[in-house]
Amino acid sequence: MINNDKHADLLQTAKQLRWQAGQNFHDQLMEDIYAEAARLADRSVTRPDEKPRFDLDRTIDQIVTHPRWGFLLMILLFTLVFWITISGANVPSGWLATLFLDMGHPWLKEMSALIGLPWWLDGVLIDGMYLATAWVISVMLPPMAIFFPLFTLLEDFGYLPRVAFNLDNIFKKSGAHGKQALSMMMGFGCNAAGVIATRIIDSPRERLIAIITNNFALCNGRWPTQILVASLFLGTLVPAYLAGFASAMAVVGVALLGVFLTFAISWGLSRTMLQGEVSTFSLELPPYRPPRVWQTIYTSLIDRTIFVLWRAIVFALPAGAVIWLAANGTIGGISIAEHMIAFLDPIGWFLGLNGIILVAYIVAIPANEIVIPTILMLIVLSTSMGDAGAGTGVMFELESGAETLSLLQNGGWTTLTAINLMIFSLIHNPCSTTIYTIYKETGSKKWTLVASLLPLALGFVVTFFVAQIWYLFAG
Amino acid sequence: MNPLTTLLLATVVIAMAVLIWWPERGVLARWRKTRSRAEHVYREDALKHIHKSHISGRRPTLESIAGVIHLSLNETAAILADMQVDELLRIAEGEIALTAKGRESALHIIRAHRLWERYLAEETGWEEASWHGQAEEMEHRLQPAELDALSAQLGFPTHDPHGDPIPDRTGQLMAYDSQTLTTLDADTPARIVHLEDEPETVYAQLVAEGLYPGQIVRLIGSSPERVRFWAGGNEHILAPIMAENIHVVLLPEMIEVDLDKKERLGSLPPGATAEVVALSPTCRGSERRRLLDLGLTPGTLVQAEFQSPGGDPTAYRIRGALIALRQEQADRIQIKRMEA
Repeated sequence: MINNDKHADLLQTAKQLRWQAGQNFHDQLMEDIYAEAARLADRSVTRPDEKPRFDLDRTIDQIVTHPRWGFLLMILLFTLVFWITISGANVPSGWLATLFLDMGHPWLKEMSALIGLPWWLDGVLIDGMYLATAWVISVMLPPMAIFFPLFTLLEDFGYLPRVAFNLDNIFKKSGAHGKQALSMMMGFGCNAAGVIATRIIDSPRERLIAIITNNFALCNGRWPTQILVASLFLGTLVPAYLAGFASAMAVVGVALLGVFLTFAISWGLSRTMLQGEVSTFSLELPPYRPPRVWQTIYTSLIDRTIFVLWRAIVFALPAGAVIWLAANGTIGGISIAEHMIAFLDPIGWFLGLNGIILVAYIVAIPANEIVIPTILMLIVLSTSMGDAGAGTGVMFELESGAETLSLLQNGGWTTLTAINLMIFSLIHNPCSTTIYTIYKETGSKKWTLVASLLPLALGFVVTFFVAQIWYLFAG
Repeated sequence: MNPLTTLLLATVVIAMAVLIWWPERGVLARWRKTRSRAEHVYREDALKHIHKSHISGRRPTLESIAGVIHLSLNETAAILADMQVDELLRIAEGEIALTAKGRESALHIIRAHRLWERYLAEETGWEEASWHGQAEEMEHRLQPAELDALSAQLGFPTHDPHGDPIPDRTGQLMAYDSQTLTTLDADTPARIVHLEDEPETVYAQLVAEGLYPGQIVRLIGSSPERVRFWAGGNEHILAPIMAENIHVVLLPEMIEVDLDKKERLGSLPPGATAEVVALSPTCRGSERRRLLDLGLTPGTLVQAEFQSPGGDPTAYRIRGALIALRQEQADRIQIKRMEA
């Protein structure tokens, strides 16, 4: 047993030593660790003679971080990646749509008729859950299966950290980290994957900024909506020979608006809500190495594509059921969906949208891919155009643009509706897969809420002002 | 509805929301602030002021207290009277003095303030300018048990980020033991905390040298015959037996000494190599740990390799790895340039 006096003495000595050790004994420790490591390494590691070799890494670095060629190369490379993704995804997307939607769906209907499923079960399972999931897979899978491996190859080669290095100065001005350029780029493929990609940012404040603003990168689930609406409504506003160009510019404009918002919101967040979060910068520029192509393709398919797809399917299944039930379940003889549309129509007017679009965005929270099919289905449902579409509460898409346009115009759509739909498609809450991923990554309900509601509120404000100013001038 | 009306309405609503929720200057923030000016806050601020006045040798007066807590003289007098009843202070012949209980409370407040500043410096990203203001609010809210937990979490820090000592749990301020000047390492900055007043002749000579507590000293060299050191801008030479009577404490590394004379990594042009001398004391918390983790310890060779097209960040070769650092980080690393 320790004598009490001794005990006190010991504590006193410890206290004195603490004061004498000073504040930075951690620095001292670290120094000693490095000194010891260097001593051990010197003793046991033999280095080949220094050769005055041609330094490949340095040469590549000089090219990719060149003030002029560096940016040009970057733009070229990413344009190439997006071009390969878009043009390469069309064909397999078509195959999947034919397989799952055009062939799979009727076949399943026949099967269920054969075994005599009750109509409601057949509806919920096949017209609801199956169809929604099939849609998500056929739209989502091909671009992701191309985009992610390409991106991972650039990463593996060592090029992406140099992009962050080149762009850091721009991001720094808005209080963000250069690596946000990469998570943003990933967000153009899929926001959930973009949120996961923010793991490379090791500074807590900048990482939160990147997570919260990732939604402003127009993801691949929203591109089809943008392209369709732009070509139907905006392309027709200009002479025919300019139509393609005008609608393409409109879509690019929306994407650029998203990039602008990313910077603006990052700037705002880093100066308000996130001021107190820790911020440290460091960016390692690893040595270049030949990418391991097959390994990269395999791991990016498993880690990113399949992972994100699986989460999307998990959310699409119940969403499909909800959509079908909302369209087919009735209260007082009128379907639930129509009740919701009637309730949301006045709000839609204020925002330059309509009840149908808002309902579509509520039921399409799990996946933005099904917004357009849901809108078409709801228009048919609420205007009782029995001959169009695929039956009550069954999502569909039309082959020809003209048919789609006339259907939408029947639903009361104007140029304003189209513009605001494009804006709202960019600025609204992230899909449920992304929300769930944000929660997983941040582990915080607060930041998940902020990331979900901030864009939604911003979307309401922007569409509201656009609509009211439009009403003011267009009458 | 008329679009003009809705636009106006919406603008008004947004303006109102901004006015209410604007951080620090909004209605809500102001309301919170006034609500927090409760009676106990005035008392605690008064205690702190009295304690600080005593330490720095000034006399706290009713007027000075009223000035600190922003109340009228009458209100301040009422609060002081209440505090006297609660045995926090004694007022006799115009002298305001703290009782043991009052002193304990004052030290608790000081501890809370300094620990919180330390916390903000080490574990958050708040800017240095906002530390004091935040600590001024938190010092009234933290309970002793919470302070113990905070202190443990921070690794029982001894100083706040400004270099002021943090009282320990028992309320002991300056609990540290000083060392004599003769035991100090050369070129280590230290502060005089005590001049031994016995024997008197030695003390008189020390005073005649112009030495006083609070002065910053740096040992130049010592031998059995004499001790040479800098203090107050002059070089002093004393016999070791005299220097024994000067008690100093090491300066917390927070204070920058002679730092401005040294070159910083940020000014190293691409291609040049330098040796790390030290990390600036203003580089704290996770920022400092990150740089140490990268191996930026004194003596490490660093070579500037190339700059980003935007001019910032710059890539440095550190222990074989290529690491990009931003300008303001590189400016916190003191270097000594190597000749090519």
